[in-house]
Amino acid sequence: MNLNLNPLTFQPGKFPSLSLPPRSSNVSIASTITSASEEIKNTKKTSSSPRKVQVTHSMPPHKIEIFKSMENWVEENVLIHLKPVEKCWQPQDFLPDPASDGFHERVKELQERAKGTPDDYFVVLVGHMITEEALPTYQTQINITDGIRDETGASPSSWATWTRAWTAEENRHGDLLNKYLYLSGRVDMKQIEKTIQYLIGAGMDAQNDNSPYLGCIYTSFQERATFISHGSTARLANQHGDKSLAQICGIIASDEKRHETAYTKIVEKLFEIDPNGTVLAFEDRMRKKITMPGLLMYDGCDENLFEHFSAVAQRLGVYTAKDYVDVLEFFVERWNVEKLTGLSSEGRKAQDYVCGLAQRLRKLEERAQEKAKQAPTIPFSWILDREVRL
Amino acid sequence: MAAVSATSVTFGSSLKLLKSSQITGKASSLKMVTVGWTKSGFPSLRTSRFRVSCSAKPETVQKVCEIVKKQLALPAESELTPESKFAALGADSLDTVEIVMSLEEEFGISVEEESSQNITTVQEAADLIEKLVQKNSEA
Repeated sequence: MNLNLNPLTFQPGKFPSLSLPPRSSNVSIASTITSASEEIKNTKKTSSSPRKVQVTHSMPPHKIEIFKSMENWVEENVLIHLKPVEKCWQPQDFLPDPASDGFHERVKELQERAKGTPDDYFVVLVGHMITEEALPTYQTQINITDGIRDETGASPSSWATWTRAWTAEENRHGDLLNKYLYLSGRVDMKQIEKTIQYLIGAGMDAQNDNSPYLGCIYTSFQERATFISHGSTARLANQHGDKSLAQICGIIASDEKRHETAYTKIVEKLFEIDPNGTVLAFEDRMRKKITMPGLLMYDGCDENLFEHFSAVAQRLGVYTAKDYVDVLEFFVERWNVEKLTGLSSEGRKAQDYVCGLAQRLRKLEERAQEKAKQAPTIPFSWILDREVRL
Repeated sequence: MAAVSATSVTFGSSLKLLKSSQITGKASSLKMVTVGWTKSGFPSLRTSRFRVSCSAKPETVQKVCEIVKKQLALPAESELTPESKFAALGADSLDTVEIVMSLEEEFGISVEEESSQNITTVQEAADLIEKLVQKNSEA
């Protein structure tokens, strides 16, 4: 491995890896994945602390050739999952039209419906919106990845074409949710906007170490997770009787599904081209745990904001520890990890680890459920300090 | 609390004493000290890194070692000492949680999340187990 430890940073501890909602029913899983909540507090307070290890360029340089050679394949197999702009939905399609006569009526109706939607749901929706709005961080993450980065900002490479178009599609998600929340009248927009500013300012080290192997496995996982999350908020909105909101969440979820398909295909191809390298990356990725992009969110008052938001998402069944394990299991199956052959002994160990992981996590999760205690209610500045149960 | 520093000095020497008793397996002196400590309700014991090292029975330490070896798939002959750190033996955070879970099952105890985060060595695990087992029997 070609490790270039950034000379400016160093630290024995790892950047927090948080994937599972930590509290209430996930005591054990929480402690495994995140005694990180302690780490988070420390890293947030000292964001330019010299004590963090950030690993860079972990992929051996000769492997960049693999990605160059995949250009045509990407054009024919991945870009097809993008939608032509003319055929794309836009946020305006799902919101009252200010240029129309009935605009104020529509807004009133929207606000009436929103009144029937509970605070805990709004906490989760806001968390999703803030995460989507931190898009600059995600485009950055992709563009610092070896082998697939956009070298000029308008590179004609298939990889770069994908990344820009993906970013453009994702951009609509934050816009749509932002406008909806703004119109809803149920939230404190300034606090939310502040949180977004903090989050983009904080960035995120997803620990993909500039490796496209790690990066594409990570994004596959993420897209599936966001599909689940937005799908859940759509389902809940329907339950609360807000069909328009359900449509909003649903249309976003459908984008995520297309993206998931694209990234999953890329990793499938990597398993074909370089099974050993890819399985080792999968192991590394899972050992580090899948960190959620909104990890460093902060609203100026809650030091454990992400933890609290995640706990509510867990309790509402929007994205849970069970989902995490389901997603892992899905990919192990989808990429046929059990059937890989021609692996080195390290590769076989990685294969064993990855194939056995879901079962271990399920056991932890069951245990955590047994031990689940009733969680406290806490205020969220996003909803004007109204309280919600974690 | 001027007494604290004085007591710590005493601790130091008692600790040494007890450590040697541990080696010779003089269970009785071990017991005495355990009882003494809980009676005094010495507050710092709860949170401090103060090794209640002397209170864990050798059998407990042995059992912990077995469980750790199994979890980390270490060869049976591998030498584990009470001071062995899980991380140094190759345990990641998932392994540690699973070790704690196995210990809960083995000893019929329930470990709080906050406590489990403080378990980094065989000795710390054994100590916590003894403490919880005792609490169970007192309950």
